[in-house]
Amino acid sequence: MIPTLGRFLILASVLVATTGAFIAYAAGSKRSPEGLRWSQRFAYLFAALMLAATGVMEYALITHDFSVEYVSHVGSTQVPLWVTIVSLWSSLEGSILFWGFILGIYIAATTWINRNDHQEYMPYAIGTWLSVGAFFSFLIAGPANPFLTVANPPLDGPGPNPLLQNHLLMIIHPPMLYLGYVGMTIPFGFAIAALLRGRLGQSFLRPLRASLLLPWVFLTIAIMLGGWWAYEVLGWGGYWAWDPVENASLLPWLTATAALHSAIVMERRGVLKGWTVTLVQASFLLTILGTFMTRSGVFNSVHSFTQSSIGPTILIFLAAVLVFSVVLLSFRIDSLEADGKLDSAVSREGMFLVNNLFFVVLTFTVLVGTCFPLIVEAVKGKQMSVGRPYFDAMVVPVGTALLFLIGVGPALPWGKASKKEILRALLPPLITGAIVMAIGLALGVRNVWTVLTLLFGGYAAHVTMAQMWLPFRQRVKRGDAIGPALVDAQLRRGRRRFGGYIVHAGAVIVFVAIAVSSTMRTQQEVTLTRGQSTTFAGYTVTYTGSEERAEPHRQSTIARFNLSKNGAQVTTMEPRMNQYAAMREPIGTPAVYSTITGDYYISIMNLQGDQAGVLIINMPMVGWIWGSVIMMGIGGLIALIPSRRRAYVVSPVPAEAAGDEVPA
Amino acid sequence: MNRTVLIVGIVIVAAIVFILFAGLGKDPAHIDSPLVGRPAPPFSLKAVGTGEMVDIEKLRGKPVVLNFWATWCGPCYEEHPTLVANARNLQPGVQFVGVVFNDDEDKIMRFLAERGTAYPTLLDAQGKTAIAYGVGGVPETFFINPEGKIMAKFEGPLTTEALQAELAKAMR
Repeated sequence: MIPTLGRFLILASVLVATTGAFIAYAAGSKRSPEGLRWSQRFAYLFAALMLAATGVMEYALITHDFSVEYVSHVGSTQVPLWVTIVSLWSSLEGSILFWGFILGIYIAATTWINRNDHQEYMPYAIGTWLSVGAFFSFLIAGPANPFLTVANPPLDGPGPNPLLQNHLLMIIHPPMLYLGYVGMTIPFGFAIAALLRGRLGQSFLRPLRASLLLPWVFLTIAIMLGGWWAYEVLGWGGYWAWDPVENASLLPWLTATAALHSAIVMERRGVLKGWTVTLVQASFLLTILGTFMTRSGVFNSVHSFTQSSIGPTILIFLAAVLVFSVVLLSFRIDSLEADGKLDSAVSREGMFLVNNLFFVVLTFTVLVGTCFPLIVEAVKGKQMSVGRPYFDAMVVPVGTALLFLIGVGPALPWGKASKKEILRALLPPLITGAIVMAIGLALGVRNVWTVLTLLFGGYAAHVTMAQMWLPFRQRVKRGDAIGPALVDAQLRRGRRRFGGYIVHAGAVIVFVAIAVSSTMRTQQEVTLTRGQSTTFAGYTVTYTGSEERAEPHRQSTIARFNLSKNGAQVTTMEPRMNQYAAMREPIGTPAVYSTITGDYYISIMNLQGDQAGVLIINMPMVGWIWGSVIMMGIGGLIALIPSRRRAYVVSPVPAEAAGDEVPA
Repeated sequence: MNRTVLIVGIVIVAAIVFILFAGLGKDPAHIDSPLVGRPAPPFSLKAVGTGEMVDIEKLRGKPVVLNFWATWCGPCYEEHPTLVANARNLQPGVQFVGVVFNDDEDKIMRFLAERGTAYPTLLDAQGKTAIAYGVGGVPETFFINPEGKIMAKFEGPLTTEALQAELAKAMR
């Protein structure tokens, strides 16, 4: 019954998405308002079907209906309810259904928000979204169908992948990532609409930018949560391994960040339209590439789902969308250019160009590094892997240069400026940069890249703070009361600008925290007998014993360590070693003691009798990464809240501050 | 139409699609062992239970199935009956040897008592043999020919079909 209902809903959604896409494209080419209204109805209907199908699957999971194949693979009566609920995205078929669910919500919401606006573009955008929707519902209906019927339903199932059950971050990380990934479909639809129409007007920038910014916020948070999870759970003392799938999540983030910046130049100067559209297309295509990477079994990663037959299907889709995008772009890119021109290289817009160049270089670097093993195997038949040294060597210099731009870019004025103006803008922040660098040197920082990061970081922090509060200071200087000036200048009129600089402030801290935590970390491998102590990085660690604990899905050995400083007890740390029934190797879970200055991290290497071999790591500032990425997300959300058009304009604000935009 | 965009775009697209197609169907977890085709690294380890020393070099003259496993490894439980059944069928023409590392002798004894055995199980107390063979995870199985050369390596739990296919390489 349930499997049949699910299959019916999915087949209906294939039909609805396909028909809706045809109607929408036809409505676009005929400029028919009636056609647009019909394509909107199909968009809502598609979303409703996806919602219903996902609801049916959740119902089957919660009621443990093992006649549904997917439930028989990931369900279990032994696991807690929250695990049952999140099992929806714990395995391949369910995760594609979840994808369709989020796509449905995005499509319906965006269609509704713009139901009376942008009539010129909306039919093409809806057509593109529904085409993507048709592909994913086809995947769910065919190669990755979770609603197959099990002839002889088992009484119980194995439950989802054990790694997903061991940390709460695993509930948030995948949905965040999907919200980021799937959301890139929306700006892609807008970009295709602009290309099909052959023009990209000023008013259409608003939905394009907003639709890009929202998934960007989700993706930013998702990438951080993934790193945080790896750090808290996997026990190797790091948060980023340049794993192919980590790279896959970073790639669309890089192009989307570049697009958010070039969109500002487009808005201010009327240039870079074709380029921005290309970046938006690339962001979507890279999410499909990422989906292929996790689901084709071509890349080896903690993220890979088991080998499946949907790899070729996704690849064909990817190839088709790539070709379509390139051909469409080559036919229409010339009709998008250009309402204005750039006057000067040493200017705000000049720095935006350099920023875009760097982001594209980073994207290519990471893409080539990720795919290089495949290239070598395809060409030479040899196996190889590309590891940390390549990525670090390539990414660290470009990343440092980007931090430099976060400082210099916003300090420079738009358009042409005299040499004197430029110097007056660029020189004062150097003092803050020098102070931060001096503090770092005094605290023992010697790594050249970290020293540079501190210098640029201090510089960028100065510029960011000055720019962030500029509208407020201007209002106060003019004699406005502090309270109203604060609310109006920062949150009402200058919200985009304010949010953008909050993102920058967060990014500056992330840069510094990554540099400091990776170059200033110290570690020690030591074997302790029960009762024995070692002193490392200011703390005394005493091994007090271990304990075995059996749980249904895993066997754990928990070691206990006493942490004390100057003779005073600080805390007890309990790293563990987990052996999951379904896995070939045991997985250690480290214990982390966090303070404002850094983390003290203990991970078990091996346990034998009375002896414990442990890895102790002292990592300064690492916790700052998580907090400041959340700050970046909040900044993005602040910039996203639509301004109530003209409702609150009481008095005009000086042009310099009012229209001044930072990337957001 | 902008020819440059079209040509550059199509070249990039073609390259990406070609590479990804070439990668389809390969198992990324599989790593070619540099040991295949080389002489098996020598070791001499104590057998669990009997205490006798087993020297891999003394086993020359017939093919050897060398299985690395541990009692803390889930898939090893699954694989064990296959190994024992095939050992009963194929021995003495083929010699089966188990090597356990990172483990306690008591736990191994209990495991073998409960699940049966048909060949010597050796304890690699310091894990040196596992390191010499480049074992990345358990179970992993090496197939050694009568001249003492490693002819194949298999990662993960063996099935009878896989075992026979890999063993055929060591019979030649």
